[in-house]
Amino acid sequence: MRRLRWVAPALAAAAMLAAGCGGSDNGGGGGSSSNQASSKPINIGASLPLTGDFSEPGKAARQGYQVWQKMINDQGGLLGRKVRIVVRDDASDQNTVVADYNALISRQKVDMLLGTFSSLLNLPASTVAERNRKLYVEPAGGAPEIFSRGYKHLFFAQQATADHQGDVFAQYILGLPANQRPKTAAYPSLDDPFALPVLDGIRQKFEKAGIKTVYRTKYANENTNFDSIANAVKAANPDVLLHGATFGDGVNFVRALNKVGFTPKYFFQTSAPSFADQYSKGVGVKNTEGTFYAVSWDAKAKTPGNAEFVKTFNSMFGAGEPAEDAADAFAAAQVMQAAVKAVGSISDQTKLANWIRTHSVNTILGPLKWDKTGAPQGQFLIGQWQGGKSQIVLPKDAATSQTIVEKNAGA
Amino acid sequence: MTKLVEAIILGLLIGGVYALMASGLTLIFGVMNVINVAHGAFLILAAFLTYSIWTATGVDPLVTIAITTPAMFGFGWLLYSGAIVRIRAAPAAASVLLTFALALVLEGVMGLVWGNTSHAIRPPYFNQSFTVGELFLPKAQVYGCIVAIGVLVALWMFLTRTWTGRAIRASAVNPQGARLVGVNVAAVATTTFAIGVATTGAGGSIIGVLYPFLPGSHYLWISRLLGIIVLGGMGSLPGAIVGALLIGVGESLTATYISPQWTTAVPYVVIFLVLLGRPQGLMGARLREDVAAV
Repeated sequence: MRRLRWVAPALAAAAMLAAGCGGSDNGGGGGSSSNQASSKPINIGASLPLTGDFSEPGKAARQGYQVWQKMINDQGGLLGRKVRIVVRDDASDQNTVVADYNALISRQKVDMLLGTFSSLLNLPASTVAERNRKLYVEPAGGAPEIFSRGYKHLFFAQQATADHQGDVFAQYILGLPANQRPKTAAYPSLDDPFALPVLDGIRQKFEKAGIKTVYRTKYANENTNFDSIANAVKAANPDVLLHGATFGDGVNFVRALNKVGFTPKYFFQTSAPSFADQYSKGVGVKNTEGTFYAVSWDAKAKTPGNAEFVKTFNSMFGAGEPAEDAADAFAAAQVMQAAVKAVGSISDQTKLANWIRTHSVNTILGPLKWDKTGAPQGQFLIGQWQGGKSQIVLPKDAATSQTIVEKNAGA
Repeated sequence: MTKLVEAIILGLLIGGVYALMASGLTLIFGVMNVINVAHGAFLILAAFLTYSIWTATGVDPLVTIAITTPAMFGFGWLLYSGAIVRIRAAPAAASVLLTFALALVLEGVMGLVWGNTSHAIRPPYFNQSFTVGELFLPKAQVYGCIVAIGVLVALWMFLTRTWTGRAIRASAVNPQGARLVGVNVAAVATTTFAIGVATTGAGGSIIGVLYPFLPGSHYLWISRLLGIIVLGGMGSLPGAIVGALLIGVGESLTATYISPQWTTAVPYVVIFLVLLGRPQGLMGARLREDVAAV
């Protein structure tokens, strides 16, 4: 769900870098040798942004796929065959990702596919998979338009599309006692397919419930002038402030709010606060206090297999918390795995897709289920920064902190 | 009224910083006919250097300019001697290609060294403001603007009061004539390029304080800076300053009175209108045909 953006010249840049970097194969992990007698390994291809602007989340996604590969091979593989993940680098470029998936299918003849990172790259990549009738489970790409094309092999392995990301937060605010419930709200947002729909989803619920919209604006990705926006927000003085951000703009906006000296009672921001210490270093630890955000996964969450995922991750990549993107990628592979196990064959991937469409799959993100378009039908977790740490506060059964800080001390 | 004054002051403060960032770009073009597309990448490199010094020593990031400026000067010198000098005889378009390639390489190297994650420099004043009546003046912008003015004045004094500075200006106006009066135009070119790159030392330190940055951030800056020097007149230092202030105020007024969505577009509309009436830019001497297409 995290993305950093690029501008037009980066396209050429990425293409050149890609030419230099090429695809990198990743050999099969260890594992039992009991299945050596069975046929050749199942090759699973993915193209990820290992270089370019999305390289950090792209590399994290690769780690997620690698952890899954190791765990499944340690358990004896898939359908008794070893699994080998083949990763190509699309350099965060839309044209390269299309070329990569075509090459994976036609030249490298992989048996199955896994998705890439970001709505921007999944949009064209999923078309290649659909044309080739290959199952395509993607870990990060929740823009609503991805699911508006009637594709039959595409599934998004997170809890909800962008427009439903803020549902749980909206329910929380609307469920507050009447005397605490905000009466006014402001909605500044980046004009972005992943930020704006989140705010629109929340705004519709708020407006229906009588929370007045006192300020609403959009800004372009290249915008660096957040002082004016913060100033306008201060003048509108909303009780609840919702900001549609990716990362840099989220940090800039919080800084600008500090500069104009405005502290809303409730502050919800998309994406940026889920960047752990990158966020707290950007805005200053004390300014994170009380900030809400939506997130798909948490290292402490008690979902089935989550502890084992974190443990294997640490054994492969050293101590430290896996990135959310690694967990999302792992979950995408889990969805594919569940379908293959249930159907018992990978030859007809439309069958695999049909199975997923009618079943719920348990993943480390929790149970996931989908509608006929491949859009997930669950709910995001709601996180909140408390005492310099990010905690899950909603829904209650997944919460890592039982308290919710109501007054935003920082922003 | 407060709103208008606030918008203009914020615009001027950021415009001052833009002016510093654009000064090196326009200087290099004016003297050498080189369009340095890597200028934004140099700024981000200086921001990363500032970040490393700040995290290692805790010294105020604006003070690190004393280190980043000579470091960038040396970097510019090496770069000129190693790469740019080879395309001196080629048309300006060749310099665009070469410096774009440099920007890409630098972006990749910065990613390897510092990682493709967002970095932020937070001196104690990063999110504080001075308040004057109902106006707020963000401290980081005020300090950044003061430093920018200081560096620009120093640059101006150097160009007008020293022999080397006058040689640089002479080479810009008339290379043949400069050569005739004993100016070593080749050496002047090296110095000019190095000085142009050195200005990114201060510019990068200020950017690092004002905004979080990552290796890819340079695209954001180079497009804006090219806009500024086209508006001011390519090669003109006063033009770059006026252009930068106009763009700064234009962005701020647009965000306040129209919509933040248009801030990135309207400055270019202004440039478009200015160039319709005055193709050489506000203070440019003439339009060079080889640059017109850029």
